[in-house]
Amino acid sequence: MAAIRFSNVFKRYASGQDALLGVNFELESGEMAFLTGHSGAGKSTLLRLIMLMERPSRGQVWVGQQDLSRLHRSQIPYLRRQIGVVFQNHQLLFDRSVFDNVALPLQVSGYDPADAARRARAALDKVGLLAREKHNPVTLSTGEQQRVGIARAIVHKPKLLLADEPTGNLDPELSEDIMRLFGQFNSIGTTVLIASHDLSLINRMQHRMLTLRNGRLVADG
Amino acid sequence: MAKPEQKEQDAAGPRPGGTRPSATRQAAPRPSEARQSAPRRGAEQHRIQLADRRRSWRRHHLNVAREALLRLKQTPVASLMTLAVLAIALALPGFLLAALGNLQALTEGWDPQPRIALYMNTDLSDASIDSFSRELLLREDLSSVELISRQKGLEEFRQYSAFADLLERFDNNPLPAVIMVLPRDTDPVQLPLVRSELAALPGVDEAQIDMEWVQRLAAALALAQRGSYVLGGLLALAVLLVVGNTVRMTIESRRDEILVSKLVGATDAWVRRPFLYSGLWFGLLGGILAWLLVQLALLLLAQPAQALADLYLNHFRLQGLGIQGSLTMLAGATLLGLSGSWLAVSRYLREIEPGVATSGVATAGDV
Repeated sequence: MAAIRFSNVFKRYASGQDALLGVNFELESGEMAFLTGHSGAGKSTLLRLIMLMERPSRGQVWVGQQDLSRLHRSQIPYLRRQIGVVFQNHQLLFDRSVFDNVALPLQVSGYDPADAARRARAALDKVGLLAREKHNPVTLSTGEQQRVGIARAIVHKPKLLLADEPTGNLDPELSEDIMRLFGQFNSIGTTVLIASHDLSLINRMQHRMLTLRNGRLVADG
Repeated sequence: MAKPEQKEQDAAGPRPGGTRPSATRQAAPRPSEARQSAPRRGAEQHRIQLADRRRSWRRHHLNVAREALLRLKQTPVASLMTLAVLAIALALPGFLLAALGNLQALTEGWDPQPRIALYMNTDLSDASIDSFSRELLLREDLSSVELISRQKGLEEFRQYSAFADLLERFDNNPLPAVIMVLPRDTDPVQLPLVRSELAALPGVDEAQIDMEWVQRLAAALALAQRGSYVLGGLLALAVLLVVGNTVRMTIESRRDEILVSKLVGATDAWVRRPFLYSGLWFGLLGGILAWLLVQLALLLLAQPAQALADLYLNHFRLQGLGIQGSLTMLAGATLLGLSGSWLAVSRYLREIEPGVATSGVATAGDV
C-alpha cells in the first residue's frame, strides 16, 4: 500500500512561480526515501503539499487512503496528527522547556498528561536529550535543537515521518547521527521521506532517491 | 486506561463519525495498541472513548482557563490598565441602572392621585381660612380637603429646610396657608376646569395641580432610562472593542505558538480556546471591578441621598444593585468579554495559517 502518492501534481504560487510541474511518484508504506535537488527545485513545496500547508494547483496527492483534495479544512488537523515533521529551522518554541516542546503534539491531541509525559520522555530519551528536558531550547546547540525537533516529530509515533533538510546546519558527524536516527524509525515500520541536498551523505545511506530539478522529478531510484 | 489512539481525537469535541477523514479511520494501529485494545468489545470501547474524550476536554478547559488567568498576571500593568478601562466602561451603565432603580422605587411610592394645592391669601385670618376649608368639604366634586395652616407650614419648613434661618429675617410668617384638595374627577380634561374654578374662589391666590410635576418627572425618567440604554449600548460596544483589541494583540504575540500548534495538528477550536478564556476573564474581572466601583459610589452617595429623601418621604432607603442587578452586571460583563474575544479570534486567527501566505516561522528555507 502506498503511504504517499503524487499523481500529476502541479503547484504554481500566486507570484506566478512554478514550484512543481507534473510530479508523479509513490512511496510505499514502510519505505525510506530521500528527496533531493538544488535549492528551489521544489523539495519543500512537495513536503508542504503532504502536510496540506499548501494545496496543489493541479493533480492529486494521497496520504494513505486519503485523497487530500477531498479533505475539508476542518479535517486538516487530523491528517497532521498522523504525520511527524522535522523542519529545517526546527520550529521550536522558546517560551517553554524542551519537555513542553516535545509534549505539544500530545497536548494538542488531548492525551492524558501522565501518558503524555511518559511518551515525551521516551521520545527525548530516544534522541539522547532526556537530561535536558527542563532546559529552554534556546540554551541548546543547533544539533541538540534539531534533535528536540525530531523528538517532537516522533513523540506521537506517526506512521509517516517527513524531514526538511534535517541536517542543514550540522557538521558531518552530527548529520550522520541524525540520519542513523531516521534509519532506526524506518526499521520499526515508519515511512520516512527526507528532503536533503547533502548528496555525499545520502549516497552513503543507500536508500531510494527522488531527484527534483526545476519542479520536475528527473530521477527515481 | 483507554487505549492511546482514542485520545488522538480533538479535545474540542466530538466529530460526527461520517465526516471523519478516512485516512484517520484507516490508520493502522500500532502494534502495542492493537494488543491493548484486542480484548475490548466495540460498544464498550466506544463508551470508554467518549468518556475519555469528555474527561480530556474538561481537563483541557480547566488548564486553559487557569493558564489564561496566569497570563494576565504575567503582564500586570497592561492587564490592569485594560481592566480599569473595562471597569469604568461597565460601571457607568451599572451606576445608571442603580440610579434609575432608585428613582423608580421612589416615584412608585407616590400617590398617583392628582391633588390641587390652593395657596390662600396671606391677609385672611386663620379662622376664615378654616371656615373656607369647611365649605370646600361640602362640595360634591372634591373627595378630600386637607388644610395646612400657616403655623403648621412654618413648623414643617423649619424642620426640613436648610434655609430655616431665613425665617428669622421675617417679622411675621411669610408662608401662605395651603389647602390640599383631591378632586373626584381625575380626568385630565376635567382637572384643569376644576382648578380654574377653584382658583376663581375668593381668598384663593393660586391653584396648582400637584400632578403636573409628577407627570413631568415620569416623562423625564422615561427619557433618562432611554438615554441610559443608549449610553449603555455605546459603552458595551466600547467594552467589546477594548477586549477585542487586547485579545488581538495577545494573538499577535503568540503567533509562533499558534503556527507550531497548527502544524502538529491543533484544531481551530483548540487554538481558539485560550484567547476566548482570556476574553472571558477580562470581562468577568472587569465586571467585578465595575461592581466594586458602583458599590463604592453608592456608599458615598448613601448619606446625602438619605438626607434628601428624608425631606420628602420617611421610608425611602437608597438601594444598591441588589443580587439580581449584581448578577446581571457580572453576567453581562463576562458575556461582553467573551464576545469581544470571539470577534478578535474569528477575525485574526484564520489568518495565521502555516503556508506561504504567512512569511513567519512556518515557511521553510527553499521552495
